[in-house]
Amino acid sequence: MGPTVLVVRLALADMRRHKIQAAMLLLAVTVATATMTLGLSLRGVNDALYEQTRAATAGPDLVALSGETGPAATSALASLADDPEVTAHHGPYRIVYADLTTRDSTSSPVVVHGFAETPGALNRPLVTSGHWVRPGGTVLERGFATALGAGVGDHVTIAGRSYPVVGIAVTAATSIYPWAAQIGPYGGPSDYTGLAWMTRADARALASSRDLPVTTALDLKLRDPDATGAFIDAHRASTLRMNLRSWQSTAEQDMVILRNTQPILVIGSWLLGFLAVTGVAALAAGRAVEQTRRAGLLKAVGATPGLIATVLLTEYLALALIGDALGLVIARLTVPAAASPTASRIGAAGLTGPTVAAATVLAVAVAVLSTLRPTLRAMRTATVTALTTTAHQPRHRPRLTALSALLPTPLLLGLRLTARRPGRAVLQACSTATTVTAIVALLTLHAQPERGYGLDGSSVLPNLRGEHDRGLMLAVTALLIALAVVNTLTFTWTTAMEARANMAIARTLGATPGQITAGLSLAQLLPALLGAAIGTPLGAGLLSLLAAPNAVEPPSSRLLAAALATVLATAALTALPARLAARVPVAQTLSAETA
Amino acid sequence: MNVSDAAVRVRGLVKTHGRGQSRVRAVDEVDLEVPRGQTLAVMGPSGCGKSTLLHLLGGLERPTGGEVWVAGRRIDTLSERALARMRRRSVGFVFQAFHLVEELSAAENVELPALLAGRSRRQARRRANLLLERVGLAARARHLPSQLSGGQRQRVAVARALANDPLVVLADEPTGNLDTTASLDMLRIFEDLRAAGQTLIIVTHDERVAATADRLVSMRDGMFVDDTRLAGTGAGRLGGLIGLEG
Repeated sequence: MGPTVLVVRLALADMRRHKIQAAMLLLAVTVATATMTLGLSLRGVNDALYEQTRAATAGPDLVALSGETGPAATSALASLADDPEVTAHHGPYRIVYADLTTRDSTSSPVVVHGFAETPGALNRPLVTSGHWVRPGGTVLERGFATALGAGVGDHVTIAGRSYPVVGIAVTAATSIYPWAAQIGPYGGPSDYTGLAWMTRADARALASSRDLPVTTALDLKLRDPDATGAFIDAHRASTLRMNLRSWQSTAEQDMVILRNTQPILVIGSWLLGFLAVTGVAALAAGRAVEQTRRAGLLKAVGATPGLIATVLLTEYLALALIGDALGLVIARLTVPAAASPTASRIGAAGLTGPTVAAATVLAVAVAVLSTLRPTLRAMRTATVTALTTTAHQPRHRPRLTALSALLPTPLLLGLRLTARRPGRAVLQACSTATTVTAIVALLTLHAQPERGYGLDGSSVLPNLRGEHDRGLMLAVTALLIALAVVNTLTFTWTTAMEARANMAIARTLGATPGQITAGLSLAQLLPALLGAAIGTPLGAGLLSLLAAPNAVEPPSSRLLAAALATVLATAALTALPARLAARVPVAQTLSAETA
Repeated sequence: MNVSDAAVRVRGLVKTHGRGQSRVRAVDEVDLEVPRGQTLAVMGPSGCGKSTLLHLLGGLERPTGGEVWVAGRRIDTLSERALARMRRRSVGFVFQAFHLVEELSAAENVELPALLAGRSRRQARRRANLLLERVGLAARARHLPSQLSGGQRQRVAVARALANDPLVVLADEPTGNLDTTASLDMLRIFEDLRAAGQTLIIVTHDERVAATADRLVSMRDGMFVDDTRLAGTGAGRLGGLIGLEG
């Protein structure tokens, strides 16, 4: 049998014997890599979707906007079209600022672009349902229509006049919903605004009927699409009363909706990765004696330290790479929804090579960090020592023992159990701190005041950016909580198994099963309490680095309640494994230890 | 003998392990009364049910049938919690493998039962020091089990078993892991306990240990096959065994 086959067979046999550990590593790596991949893909996917929409709609390289109307503005815009760098143009056309109300009374600011009934070569909105503008009808931008819940055949009221919706379309000439306005009335600031198209005549009639503010726009195509910066610089003097928007700035504006998404997902993936390492490391540490004996056995029959390390690492690496593949598939399937919360863009986007590589590095790091210590120990321990190795020998801590002697029995047992494995207590504290940090972030996001996308900031049209952030933060927090739950169960069970002899001795000396259960629970609860105490300010501190300067902090009472709930949940979670461990027959345990 | 006069009393005690064809009667219809102050030795071949009997007497295992009374109280019907309390008050265990808590010093091991029984740390420590002195280990009170010899560890275990001044001490092969010198030390300690009126039930393979008892019960296949009252005093027999006599 070749060494490769031997390694694979040994790794597979170990996986079969430890299915729960294998499943846990798989789950942890999958969620961590999926989240990181999503986080790292956002920018690329956003750009890719913009590019595809731009290609499909013959998006302009530049849009010139003037808050003024009349011959002077038209002339200034026309002069831009005469620039030798300009190869094509569309317009000038009117942009009318109005209010739109749907049949169910949902109102929103809207900009109405007056377009020809037959679109030209430049800025050709792509109709995704219905048909293009015709007299008396309007076409709604797809992201706007989705937010309104409007479709072809519905009627909407714009500036008091009813229009049938004859089509739904997308364009790359403006940013995604709700940033369609680009500039506000008379060149001022704009509010959250949707986009609609009408015929030129209808737009003119709309503007004049209510004396609505109008902006004049001209779309330009340049000889070199990447030279928009140089073109804007060259016309800075003559465009003082104009606003020039490049396609790059439009794409950049699209990213605004994802500004918080990236840190949520990337930092979330770090936290998930950390929890994955702590959980798997705790399991691996719980198996350290068995692993070392197994290594001793392999050495005794002629295996080299290199082969030992390869067997141990192969198992974890194989699982990590399977988890990585699963995570990448999940990320690939969910990335369009995560990267494009509005329906304003079309196209599909995949994962890039660097993103896949980064996620794979994370997966491998989780596997290696989780198993490095037991692997090194197994490699370095002499064969005979490895074959006779016994459980980890805790240190004598006279001060802590004396202190715990003053406490009631459950606390005495809990404190002494915690002291047996201080490293694990630190991991439990970190695990809890990580969870509380995420919960604090979630509460903080929910505490932020928010302008809705409806008329005058009404939340009848919800703030998509806020909703998207909260949704993703909730998903990341839920995943973190799920991993923390698994970790807590693992920590409790591993502690119980390692301390089973001592607990059995305590039982023979008169400790009740209830006291043993409480002691085991408290051994997790004491570090969890510390973790909750650290996690609350840590979460607030982390957010203060990332949040806007005017961000609102959630009420302290809510943060305190969250920390308390986490500790109580930990207590509840530890109760079952602790109770099960406390019920193991004493005589059986002591006999096993004697053997 | 009245039930309350006996330190330990069992009637029709049965303990079976396994199911179906692999069912084994580890203890089979055993009757036994151990008066207060008596030292009882239980001997028999490996697997005859000696240790199981000891576990049943101490409430570490539940019988399949029969009754167990300790200090005048029936214990086979008690809850786990009540059994634990009974052990605190009435039973001390000494195991072949010592079963000391490795990260605690000798004194901390000995004071543990008293702390579990709710005594103050000062009371527990005073009692632990007294008991360690009694077993000749006062100078080793701060040593960890790993720093003690096998005999010293077993002496710590005996001191721990006596921490709550129990009615009965149950010892399972107490000299099984000890060399000759350490075994003789242990015999001296048991003799002292017997002289002080401590009820002792000792499961052993060691005839020297059995010879120190007031009474010897032999077991085979889960049943008592012999119950002998031993003549003379333990001190005299022990003295003879270890060469202290004239």
